[in-house]
Amino acid sequence: MMDYINGETVSIVLFFTGVYGLIARRNIVKSIISLGILQVAIILYFISANFEEGAVPPIGDVSSSAIVADPLPQALMITDIVIGMGVTAASLTMFIHMYHRYGSTNWLKVKRKRMK
Amino acid sequence: MIDFIWLIMLPIVMGVPVIFIKFNIAKKIIAVFQGLMVFASILNFVHIKKNGELLQNIAGWPDYIAITLRADLLAAAMVMLATVIFMALILFSMKKKFADSMFLFLFIALEGLIIGIFLANDLFSLFVLIEVATVIISILIMYKKDTSSIYDGTLYLLINVVAMSFFLFGTGMIYKTTGVLDLYGIKEVLGKMTEPDSVMLPYAFIVTAISLKAALMPLFSWLPKAHGTPSAPSVISAVLSGLYVKNGIYLFVRVQDAFSGLIDTSSIFVYMGLLTAIIGFLLAVVQDDIKLILAYSTVSQIGLIMMALNLGDERAFWGGLYHIFNHAVFKTTLFLAAGVITDHYKTRDAGRIRGVYKNMPIISTAAIFAILGIIGAPFFNGSISKYLISFGLTEFIGEIGILIVNLGTVTIFVRFSEIFFGESNLKKPKTDGYTLSVITFLGILCFIGGIFGQSIISFLFNEYFEVNIESYIQKAASFLITLALGYGLYYGFIKKVNIARFLQKHELSFNGVCTAITIFFIFILSYVRITH
Repeated sequence: MMDYINGETVSIVLFFTGVYGLIARRNIVKSIISLGILQVAIILYFISANFEEGAVPPIGDVSSSAIVADPLPQALMITDIVIGMGVTAASLTMFIHMYHRYGSTNWLKVKRKRMK
Repeated sequence: MIDFIWLIMLPIVMGVPVIFIKFNIAKKIIAVFQGLMVFASILNFVHIKKNGELLQNIAGWPDYIAITLRADLLAAAMVMLATVIFMALILFSMKKKFADSMFLFLFIALEGLIIGIFLANDLFSLFVLIEVATVIISILIMYKKDTSSIYDGTLYLLINVVAMSFFLFGTGMIYKTTGVLDLYGIKEVLGKMTEPDSVMLPYAFIVTAISLKAALMPLFSWLPKAHGTPSAPSVISAVLSGLYVKNGIYLFVRVQDAFSGLIDTSSIFVYMGLLTAIIGFLLAVVQDDIKLILAYSTVSQIGLIMMALNLGDERAFWGGLYHIFNHAVFKTTLFLAAGVITDHYKTRDAGRIRGVYKNMPIISTAAIFAILGIIGAPFFNGSISKYLISFGLTEFIGEIGILIVNLGTVTIFVRFSEIFFGESNLKKPKTDGYTLSVITFLGILCFIGGIFGQSIISFLFNEYFEVNIESYIQKAASFLITLALGYGLYYGFIKKVNIARFLQKHELSFNGVCTAITIFFIFILSYVRITH
């Protein structure tokens, strides 16, 4: 049982929790939060996907250890964190603009006003 | 020989100082610079045509560590198309009021990103480029900051970020199974595997994201809002419809190729393309807004291209790729012409705009050339690509499909061309020289693409196809019949019966689009699981 609770499965569950949030929540802020959950799930997946017991970080002198962790996913995820932050900031800014114009945080109400 | 990295970086680097200098000088600098970009991309294309596919490491890092850029003939041709279209658009916006330095910067940076997407070789750099392009495009959509465009821009941003999350998750899974990220490496590793089980999930994730980018059937509802948003400048609509959506199709071709060793879903995408084309046509024909008519007709044309690419016939495949180029040219012309028309008439309602031909004869002629291209009239570029596509259609579904799609396109543009006729009491507008020359140039390009279609195809793709005069005449005859049918369908049925009007109000909310993405993902996953 405990074997199943590893980074991969947790991240897949997290990912679909985020997707659920996107589908079921009509609050725009909650949609942006759900996007954050998706990003966290992705980061967790990348970091833990090729995890091996006892691997050392690929920094400094690594000659003493037999297993070295794969540095690529970590490099990619640093990029992704930066991008994710930028995207979240952009969507929150846009949300504030939208809130000023439409006076609502609800997707349906905003859409109804837009269609008029 | 030009380093690919400069094709991507130069537009962005050039854009930054432009923000700080006077706009009148800045736009001249950018126009000259863009001329150089066109020149560079042509040089690049000629070089690759001569020497074959080329792989470059960024910044001189050794192999396996560096980020690589790869250009084959198709990528180089796409880059050339991108620079030419951007050249036209920058000249077009020379004397327009909406443009300022910031706009110019975002616009030219977008060019670099689009070129980057064509040249990028690994999934993660694709992700980064697309994500940045998404943010820039959503800012450009809401550039005029009016109420409806803010909604459209936000929706565009969030939907595309959701899709790219799917893409990145798929990338992670692919990296876990294969240990590589670049598309050719994936193809190589997957070629050695025998069991497709472990790549089904990542495939479904990645294809879902790319289908959204390419605006396939249930996932296109962001497209008309983004491409047809009322207040966005027409150059933005033109670049989105003409170029950016082609990035999605191009990625689709690349990803299908990378996975082709294990997973083949082309037969389902033929039907998806057909469905997309039909629904796009149904929604286009009921719109009143001329920009929305054009945006939905893009959806329908994408369906046609998707069908052609997945038919599995070589001629249809290259015909589909040629149609990408043609569509870029005529849709850009149409959007630019629509922009000029709406600026003059102060309305976008196709029912109220009349007498455009009398007021703007030159622009109307170019727009009519583009319409003749898109409906596939003989001697125009669309006829060549549709002629080639129709070869792949040996099966029943294809025969019927292309007839319906053609009929749909004809009907859409019968409706659209109503605006050229009649009388209008408005004065003749003053159109500046840049606008006129750009639209005329693109209109003539539609004609050239038809007359010299064969030689252009062999120039672009190194493929030669015989256009048989007899069957070409046969196609021309069937075109005339379709034209008559389309006329009848529009005036006899759609215009009289308001049953289709409820379609006009069809629109998914953000939650609806997310549901559609999830359903599409589950559908692709179960399809792959059942058939493999």
